[in-house]
Amino acid sequence: MKDLFLIGSVPWWLIALAGLGSGALLIQQFVGLRQRLTLSQSSVLVCLRAVVYGLLIFFLFGPALVETRVLKLRRPLTVLVDSSQSMDFPATPKADSSGQPQTSRIELVREKLAGGKEPLLEKLSRDYDLRLFRFGTSLEPIAPAALPQLKAQDEGTRLLEILRSAAQQGGAQSAILLFSDGITNGIEKTLDGAAALPVPVFTVGVGESEDFIDVRLADVRAPEFAFRGREFKLDLIVQAHGLNGKTLPLYFNRGRNLITSRTLNVDADRFEQKITLAFTPRELGTHTFSVTIPQQAGEQITQNNHKEFKIDVQRDKIRVLTLSGSPSWNYRFLRTALKQDPLVELVSFVFLRTPTDSVDVPDNQLSLIPFPIDDIFLEELKNFDLVFFDDFSHRAYFNPVYLEKVRDFVRDGGGVAMLGGSRSFDSGGHAETALKEILPVELDGKGSYQTQGAVRPSLTAAGKVHPITRLHPDRATNEETWKRMPPLTTFNQVRSVKGETLLTATGDGTTPGSPLLTIGRFGKGRTLALMSDDIWRWNFIAVGNQETPQNHLKLVRQAVRWLAQEPSFEQVQLGPVPLSRPGEKVALKLRVFKDDFTPARQAAVQLRVFGSDGEPTLVPVTPDAEEGEYTGEYTPLKQGSYRVEAEASLAGKTLGRSKTTFTVAFPYGEIDDGRPNTELLKQIAAASQGEYVSIKDWNEKTLDKIAAKWETHAPSQIVEQRQTQLWSTLWPFFLILALLSVEWWMRRKWGLV
Amino acid sequence: MKRRTFIRLLSQSLVAAALVPRSAQATHPKEKRPLQFVFAQVRYRGGDWNPHPLAVTPLMEELMLRTSVEAPTVRHEITLTDRDLFTHPFLYLTGKYEFEPFTSEEIDNLRRFLSYGGFLLIDDALGQQGYGFDKAVRREMQKVFPGNDFKRLPSSHAALRSYYLLRRIGGVRIVHPYLEGITLGSSTPVIYCQNGAGAAWERDQLGKWTNPCTPGGEEQRRDAFHLGINLIVYAMTENYKEDLIHVPFIRRRLTR
Repeated sequence: MKDLFLIGSVPWWLIALAGLGSGALLIQQFVGLRQRLTLSQSSVLVCLRAVVYGLLIFFLFGPALVETRVLKLRRPLTVLVDSSQSMDFPATPKADSSGQPQTSRIELVREKLAGGKEPLLEKLSRDYDLRLFRFGTSLEPIAPAALPQLKAQDEGTRLLEILRSAAQQGGAQSAILLFSDGITNGIEKTLDGAAALPVPVFTVGVGESEDFIDVRLADVRAPEFAFRGREFKLDLIVQAHGLNGKTLPLYFNRGRNLITSRTLNVDADRFEQKITLAFTPRELGTHTFSVTIPQQAGEQITQNNHKEFKIDVQRDKIRVLTLSGSPSWNYRFLRTALKQDPLVELVSFVFLRTPTDSVDVPDNQLSLIPFPIDDIFLEELKNFDLVFFDDFSHRAYFNPVYLEKVRDFVRDGGGVAMLGGSRSFDSGGHAETALKEILPVELDGKGSYQTQGAVRPSLTAAGKVHPITRLHPDRATNEETWKRMPPLTTFNQVRSVKGETLLTATGDGTTPGSPLLTIGRFGKGRTLALMSDDIWRWNFIAVGNQETPQNHLKLVRQAVRWLAQEPSFEQVQLGPVPLSRPGEKVALKLRVFKDDFTPARQAAVQLRVFGSDGEPTLVPVTPDAEEGEYTGEYTPLKQGSYRVEAEASLAGKTLGRSKTTFTVAFPYGEIDDGRPNTELLKQIAAASQGEYVSIKDWNEKTLDKIAAKWETHAPSQIVEQRQTQLWSTLWPFFLILALLSVEWWMRRKWGLV
Repeated sequence: MKRRTFIRLLSQSLVAAALVPRSAQATHPKEKRPLQFVFAQVRYRGGDWNPHPLAVTPLMEELMLRTSVEAPTVRHEITLTDRDLFTHPFLYLTGKYEFEPFTSEEIDNLRRFLSYGGFLLIDDALGQQGYGFDKAVRREMQKVFPGNDFKRLPSSHAALRSYYLLRRIGGVRIVHPYLEGITLGSSTPVIYCQNGAGAAWERDQLGKWTNPCTPGGEEQRRDAFHLGINLIVYAMTENYKEDLIHVPFIRRRLTR
């Protein structure tokens, strides 16, 4: 289609002047012609000339033909479908009375896009350059044909990050049609302070937040580890929606045992309350704790009603109990060593008086306290990590039956050390007590206690590498250090050993190879026998020899740690396992040492992993290039807490055990809060000049609305105009020429030329 | 000398010889029973390092009678430069008169001895503040721990509760109703008594007390023995009685 436009730039007065001039000229011509021709002949000639003048004046107006063409565009439309796990939640909060499984949010989206006689996707692909993506933690293109099989399985929703990426990919003319429940748990969670989205986003909300009933345990803050005997606190937030007026019970459990419960009175439709729970763990190890609120009527999402977490209960200090038969320098310097050790909490009992000692004052003038036999052996023993028997015999004080509790204590993982003296080993009658079973030396009642002479320590092969007797990291210097140790003057002779001897005694009153320091294991615990009550000399006399007392202090410190099974003194050491995701391979590394603490190269290692279901999985272990190091690989499939237990043995002899835990989790809280975040979808639409529409309100006109809104941002067609100026063509010239030629021919015919 | 007098003296000598414990006759006993404690008395130059030579035996006998500590009944004499100084973590320093200054080696040894776990009981046999032994001791201890003066020990000090709950400080006289000490960190390795504890402990070879205790008499003497026992137990257990497990028990007894 072409339109005529006058686009000339000659001033109107000039054109009027030309018109007047032309009129005057025509009148003059008519008068002149009338004298020679008839009226009709004169009129014809003047008319012809008038047409020529008219055409010339018309061209002064600049006549032009404008041709208009409309081009329709196929704009890029990016359709994003949320495929995160929250899209698997029911689309409506109200339960279906028919008992049928409720339609999930993703099913609703699939139905909307791919269902019906003329699926929406087809319509969109007809009108637009359609690009279909699914998203969760990442943006993945999918074929329209694959949409019906799309599942909600992404472990997180990085909604805002994904939107920016999709907008960038689509280009400036594009728009985004987003189907989502609005739940986001990426780094960006709100639009506050964020750059505006460059393209309009038309958000289609899936799921209903009205009438949504849910109780959620949010923001649970539990420590990763706690100290035994010290209260730890646990903070969490309880959020409840649609439960105004209800009373909610909250249970705090350790394993299956209830620790405490709370009752929450919900007094608002959108209820939130911070809760602080406390517990004082008494047992070491990793314990599973949980907080639970039972499922409420009408509540669709129950995964967020229960939070489970593990806390590693550690000792803040090694609790040491010493029982000393009498005040002695050995006790004095042992006490100094233990008191100087920041890791040790010491409780000591020194028997200042024997039953045969008489006192000359009433009891109330004595500071002596009765030894709490029952309290110590029947109640408190389990709260200690190790017990020192320092020149102590039960004989005068209590029934040896109590010492059976000490045996049980070691069997369950405690440590016991017996130091020498006239009340120790055979001299103290321990051959008739349960201590005989646990000590690493054989007691037969015949061992003697010798008090004269000079007894020197000598490192055995095991003693040269064992962490207890390693007073210096350099092996040669360590051996030299032990050679320089001041001699002892007392010695308990024992028949033989059951454990590993680290030091032998040489000198007066000893037989070759007489054990001086022997260690052993009993059950899960460890024992140590030091056959002298004179090791204070390694401290004080060393000081007198202008040497350091550190060797004595270090020996005590290392013995305490070994007995208390500090991790660095374990023969089997499982390395830490980082947080991992389901499906990711986890490397479980461990180090194994022999009894003498040299790396165990050919140890038989059993590695088991326990998942949340409690079922063990045996993990094959292979030795690493590094001597004594082993690795097992395990792939956890589910989220949750996993426990690893390792046990190593060498030539049939168990070297030790170790255990650790690790957590498998996605770094998002996708199913923590199932409420659709409609507000965010509205904000996104408003901020990007798009439009929000609920999926349930989608109808025939919705697409038109979207198209109209999009039109303001990016038009759907282009109008093209071509302009042709008439005077720049030959046709006016030929027309004027033809008119003038006809006039000339007539003039000639009528005899004027 | 008259014959009667001679016979009386001879018979008294025979009886006395029979009463004196054999161990008291040895200067460095080798006892077969295990000994946790040796009473080592410092011998120094000048003054009178040994004003009460028979003081230790009664104290050791009392110590073994009342406590589970086994000890030889005689003292071990030692100088501050002896090689075996550090085999005896308990030292007893007493005297009446001003003595010669310690050598620098003695000062260094004593400082090292006390800094690393040794204990020194100082007993003023003269009991004159600022004179004689007291003057010399304060002078020498200033050299050992410059700037760390003797300070009065509070009644709650562990040394006063290590065995007996001491409410009085015994001795042959009462110069001060308290003890003084030099404290390093949480322990007090030097304790000074000006009440003449050694004189109160001393008994002659016939078993009679050598020195009367004034003004408190035998009760004051008993306090001196209690003090001796407490200080020995304190030296061997340090501040054991300050452990939390003992505190409420002791508090209850003291408030009765």
